[in-house]
Amino acid sequence: VELLSNLALGFGTALSPANLFLGFVGCLVGTLIGVLPGVGPIATIAMLMPLTLKVDPTGALIMLAGIYYGAQYGGSTTAILVNMPGEVTAVVTTLDGYQMARQGRAGVALGVAALGSFFAGCVATLVIAALAAPLARIALLFGPAEYFGLMVFGLGLAVVLARGSVLKALIMVTLGLLLSTVGTDLETGQERLTLGIAELADGVDFAVLAMGVFGIAEILRNLENPESRNVAIAQLGRLLPTREELRRCFGPVARATGIGAVLGILPGNGAVLGPFASYALEKKLSKQPEGFGKGAIEGVAAPESANNAGAQTSFIPLLTLGLPPNAVMALMVGAMTIHGLIPGPQVMTKHPQLFWGMIASMWIGNLLLLVINLPLIGLWVRLLRVPYRIMFTTILLFCAIGIYSINNNPYDVYFTAFFGLAGYLFIKLGLEPAPMLLGFVLGRLMEEKLRQALALSEGSLMTFVERPFAAALLVLAAVVMVVAVLPAVSRSRQKAFQE
Amino acid sequence: MRQRLLRQDFLGGLAVIAVAAFAYWLARKLPTGAAGGMGPGALPKGLAVVLGGLGCLLLLNSFNSQSLARWSARGPLCVLGALVLFGLAVRPLGLAVAGPLAIAAAAAASGESRWRETLVFGALMTLFCVALFKFALGLPIPLAPWLVGY
Repeated sequence: VELLSNLALGFGTALSPANLFLGFVGCLVGTLIGVLPGVGPIATIAMLMPLTLKVDPTGALIMLAGIYYGAQYGGSTTAILVNMPGEVTAVVTTLDGYQMARQGRAGVALGVAALGSFFAGCVATLVIAALAAPLARIALLFGPAEYFGLMVFGLGLAVVLARGSVLKALIMVTLGLLLSTVGTDLETGQERLTLGIAELADGVDFAVLAMGVFGIAEILRNLENPESRNVAIAQLGRLLPTREELRRCFGPVARATGIGAVLGILPGNGAVLGPFASYALEKKLSKQPEGFGKGAIEGVAAPESANNAGAQTSFIPLLTLGLPPNAVMALMVGAMTIHGLIPGPQVMTKHPQLFWGMIASMWIGNLLLLVINLPLIGLWVRLLRVPYRIMFTTILLFCAIGIYSINNNPYDVYFTAFFGLAGYLFIKLGLEPAPMLLGFVLGRLMEEKLRQALALSEGSLMTFVERPFAAALLVLAAVVMVVAVLPAVSRSRQKAFQE
Repeated sequence: MRQRLLRQDFLGGLAVIAVAAFAYWLARKLPTGAAGGMGPGALPKGLAVVLGGLGCLLLLNSFNSQSLARWSARGPLCVLGALVLFGLAVRPLGLAVAGPLAIAAAAAASGESRWRETLVFGALMTLFCVALFKFALGLPIPLAPWLVGY
């Protein structure tokens, strides 16, 4: 009953004309930017953050969430139509989606992706609404030691779930943690690792880092591969799947939603794994596994649903524990902080309207996406025909304006260029940037909690052993890491990502 | 030897060690403190040591890694240069100048760019951005202080 009244409050907030309009605009511009090849949700949100600066906090978060879903869906569109995934999670969609497009079934692929995502979004919204309150209550019992343990566990998971070698992921997490120490020390006010640059006194801005290593580096990478973009569509074909196709997809979509929703809740960017896992599962369960990779409709429906479910449930750690599980959520933290909100369990009690309004807006956002995208697909197709040599200059200008506008500071633009160079080097050296971002995001909070915990225990490290929950989380983190480097597991882990 | 030097992980390991050493050197004067009252230097130094160690591991395991892909200087130089130009120009000269400047500089990154197309497109894009960010959204980004005063 409490759930229902909460949801009613949420829908009441989210359905107010102003908020509905903001959500609509967010979905629309999010899709518009997300469709651009090589621009993933992270870069899109960092670019569009200034749009929300002048809006009230609730509206701003609703709009940002809309931008996020729009960017996700735009990314799938690009993955299906031109075989260019904007981010890791869309890679799986390209396998069968692009094949479908080449067979003249692009419309159905896009349609089923939208319908699958909508279904996943509806379920995930309910999951969030049901889990948020109890989890937030648990979170209120957490002391600094428990928070620290949870974050270590999250980073451990992030290392294991990253693509490529465990060692490299570990390096990137450590690098991220190290980067997070740049800036003024919270307790003593001493400047650390700032090179004497005054603009670094507040530390590296997350949006700047994310835009550099994801947005700018991606442009650099695309520039190196000469235009091979082939908008694979003589004709879009019909959009709505047939009844037979829907029947084939129902099972995969339902299973993928479950997988994605569960993985999304994990604190270490588990959502990334969802599309891979559900694709592999459907291939195994299918009666015609040989059809996968050649345009099987399940091969589009499953990863898209898992992706959307995970994208949404990854709000849970942020809203209940105040811990962003991935880079997108970290940007949300940034946006919340701009509006004077500190993410964590207290948001629900102090700002119930904002909290439940945002949850309700997730469902509305999914519906809006369906409504916006099915009729507008033709427009996105035309946009994708613009040659990259023109498009990337526009992307770059938007990046520059967006980054400048967050703090009205030209230094942020220089730092973005610096991290763009770093991201380019990471690509060349085969280092995956995602774990670094997570390390950076959690770094500050981890240091704070570690020092608090040690201060409370008067310097005794035993506090992490004596407090059962903290100890359990730390042990769990160690187990996860050890298991990942066991030869048998690491082999199957590699296989899982290759598929 | 040359073959080995060009391996991805060999260079990667070296780069990681260099970053770690640099960070440790920057943090050298910060007090480390004891466990109960950790000083501001404890974490940066500790993490730098860990990072250096991991970098050594990467270096030692680099024999089987891929060799490095082709590099190019033109793309990064032009794109990053465009960003820096934008940053330099946006305050004193405003978006009206910084926009076309950034687009022109970025366009030089691609061998496929055509000058006339870039110029026309840069002007149009800047107009669009001014309309969107300056007037529709009211962001305090300077437009052309030397011309219109804001």
